[in-house]
Amino acid sequence: MVNAFQWWRGPLLAFALLAASRVLLPLPFVIEVVIFSVYTIGCSFLVGRVGFISFGQPAYLALGAYATAFYLSYFGTNPFIGIALGVLGGLVVSCIVGPLFVRLRSDYFALVNLALAVIVFYLMQKVLAGITHGDNGLWFLTNIASTPVLDVSRPDGFFIFAFLVALAVWVLYKYLDDSVFGACCLATKINEDKLEFLGYSNFRIRLLAFAIANTTTALAGAMYAVYLGFVSPEMSSPSRAADPVIVTILGGAGTLYGPIVGAFAYTGMKDVISKLIGNWELFIGFLLVFIMLAGERGIWGTLQPWLEKLLTRKSAPIATAEPPADSREKRD
Amino acid sequence: MDAQLLISGVIFGLSIGSIYFLMAIGLSLCFGLMRIISLDQLLYYAIGAYLTYSISLATGSVWLGVLGGLVVAGIAAFAVERLLFRRIYERELTFSMITSFGILIGGIGVIKFLWGVVPRPVPVPIEQQVAILGTDVPVYRLVIVGLAMLVYVGIWLFLNRTITGKAIRAGIEDVEHVEGLGINVSRLFTITFIIAGSLSGLAGGLHAPLIMVDPTMGLEVLAFVFMVVIIGGLGSIKGTLISAFMIGQVVSIGSLIYAPLAQMAPFAIMLLVLLVKPTGLYGSAQLRR
Repeated sequence: MVNAFQWWRGPLLAFALLAASRVLLPLPFVIEVVIFSVYTIGCSFLVGRVGFISFGQPAYLALGAYATAFYLSYFGTNPFIGIALGVLGGLVVSCIVGPLFVRLRSDYFALVNLALAVIVFYLMQKVLAGITHGDNGLWFLTNIASTPVLDVSRPDGFFIFAFLVALAVWVLYKYLDDSVFGACCLATKINEDKLEFLGYSNFRIRLLAFAIANTTTALAGAMYAVYLGFVSPEMSSPSRAADPVIVTILGGAGTLYGPIVGAFAYTGMKDVISKLIGNWELFIGFLLVFIMLAGERGIWGTLQPWLEKLLTRKSAPIATAEPPADSREKRD
Repeated sequence: MDAQLLISGVIFGLSIGSIYFLMAIGLSLCFGLMRIISLDQLLYYAIGAYLTYSISLATGSVWLGVLGGLVVAGIAAFAVERLLFRRIYERELTFSMITSFGILIGGIGVIKFLWGVVPRPVPVPIEQQVAILGTDVPVYRLVIVGLAMLVYVGIWLFLNRTITGKAIRAGIEDVEHVEGLGINVSRLFTITFIIAGSLSGLAGGLHAPLIMVDPTMGLEVLAFVFMVVIIGGLGSIKGTLISAFMIGQVVSIGSLIYAPLAQMAPFAIMLLVLLVKPTGLYGSAQLRR
């Protein structure tokens, strides 16, 4: 009972804070933060847990979004089926390219993934222009039917839906982090030879992690599509390839709540700074360099030990050097 | 397809392949010696192109612009190496990738600040056409191919005939050993990085008359340069040359057959090569850290 409470305390507290921010902040901002954090957690998991730096997340985002968009523009009207198809699309594609990609060394993996994002961009912009309408994008807002219990075609209904989905995603990732699989992921990052020696298959663990992370990203893409009622190739353009990586690093790679903190900080800064100065890229580029040089633990990675100390009121456990900011409270 | 179209397609492919080669060589050298993925090469490419634009506008000579672009790109690379990369050589590979992406994005912001977002045209320095097998071919494209070959020969001579080049080659094999011999590795890194940056600047300057110069031009060639490096194998100059010309031909001939093929075919080739050999054509398997 106490353990269950301890386990659920983290996600519930985080999402209670997120729900509270709904009252204080404008709705589009909070929805953006929620979807963005779902978008980022896959990347965070890959970077922090599996040791894959993925610059190709926008590819899966766009695939999920376009799968949803195709269904909603050409076939049906139910947004939930659309989202399910988006997730399925992401899963299928990551299962096709996954076996090829996860065999690669981390350097090649990063390059190949970025290339994939650019290719998806061209695919949507030029090759499939007949059905995607190229740069004009697909508009299907009026095609989305209102659903009975939870009306996701309206922003406030969509917020509740996105919120519940994000909570489910977080519970899943917390479960993964605590499971044997999560430990294996960490092991394949740190020492793959040893893991192989213990009888685990590096390839299978990586493939599973790759599929899970990218399916989550596709889910975020599907949610964007339903929320905006519009998709365009811009989603996977190379200049946006770094977004999830920036948010991951900003929040703290591999931490559970890093993506939420990062998405919050990033979206907030983007809103404020693009109002003050037009040159958003200049700022974000140097911010990224600064964070990398200043210690790569990110906001949450720096806050977490301090918060834990505050919450438990005990002497802090000896900080482990590897990996940064990964001392889970659950060690029973 | 008629022969004239094919010949001009081949020449076009050779020239575009030369540009890719000049850019990819920087990425490849940096990876081979320093074990970093230096995405900011794409920034030096844009710097080279913009300098070419500004200098050719001021003096009327594109060649002077290309030279200026090469020099300024080299200086920018030197500054970045001294200020930033110096601190991250010891870190993981992915670390350098994120940092250099930050430099790239920040640099694009600086370019937008200095030159604005409007695409700029650069005049073609050589207007003449020469007839090859009855087809008129722009001389400028042939000059680009010639310059790329000169660079390849120059790099080859530098790596094989000079003591610094030999030290760099030894460093690609085993950095610690070279350091143990009393060679100043940190100076070696700086030299390599400046060479890489200037070659990217040269690529930008040479490419500028063929396209419009705009701030995100680096991101547009990014995918192709990456595919060249991946297919050739990180750290191999010869592999880079071969795969650059291969991708150039595929892009050029592919677009003659069916336009979208130009973008998709290189990717398919990359997947195929990786399927057979995960380290690229000439990449060595033991380049691990």
